[in-house]
Amino acid sequence: MRQAGTYSGMVISGKTGPHLLPLARIKKIMKKSGEEVKMISGESPIVFSKACELFIKELTQRSWMVTIKGKTRTLSKEDVASAVLATDLFDFLLNLVSQSAPAPLHPKPPN
Amino acid sequence: MVDEQERLLPIANVGRIMKQILPPSAKVSKEAKQTMQECATEFISFVTGEASDKCRKENRKTVNGDDICWALGALGFDNYAEAIVRYLHKYREAERDKATQNKASCSRSSQDKDEGDSSEDKSDQQPHQQIDVPTPSARV
Repeated sequence: MRQAGTYSGMVISGKTGPHLLPLARIKKIMKKSGEEVKMISGESPIVFSKACELFIKELTQRSWMVTIKGKTRTLSKEDVASAVLATDLFDFLLNLVSQSAPAPLHPKPPN
Repeated sequence: MVDEQERLLPIANVGRIMKQILPPSAKVSKEAKQTMQECATEFISFVTGEASDKCRKENRKTVNGDDICWALGALGFDNYAEAIVRYLHKYREAERDKATQNKASCSRSSQDKDEGDSSEDKSDQQPHQQIDVPTPSARV
């Protein structure tokens, strides 16, 4: 019987352990991303757990830079939207945050 | 009906990661966490799409860690790619150690799954776990 190691133990027990995000959820999201995504290696959700952590940290940091300019101490969704707008790398998020953007991006109201 | 929250990364986890990078006095609105949840979920879809596209072009069915690293680099997330290549290397080493312990009788690992040429730092690797690589590039 396979001994549960650091990583496989977590997958079996369902705990995140040193991973900050649940691997099963990540796998679900990956599978939903496209029809052509059929099989995912065991290490892929683990890789994404780390990648998402880095992504969240970067976007949070950039958003916070916007927050403190406004002299408040509460990070708002408008701050996140501003950070996305200001960063070319996050262009893929433009549609997602356009409803929260402080300046109107689209003339029509969000449906 | 699928619960909306089921398609996103859990808000508690996302919030925890956000707090790690913010000063202790910082507050985060619930809506900001929700936005971050959606952004992070979209990030996964975006990168996975690129990685699976590569697999399809190469007639491979399984998206693996290397594909994700490649996709991150291709999409401009170069700094993430570097950190994750190291992370993936450590994970594979841990898996290899586990496999070696399970075998017990053989100290030389015969499961050589080195797909990437990313490992430069071998200072923490035990000498008796020397990897047998088919490529001529020196791994000592």
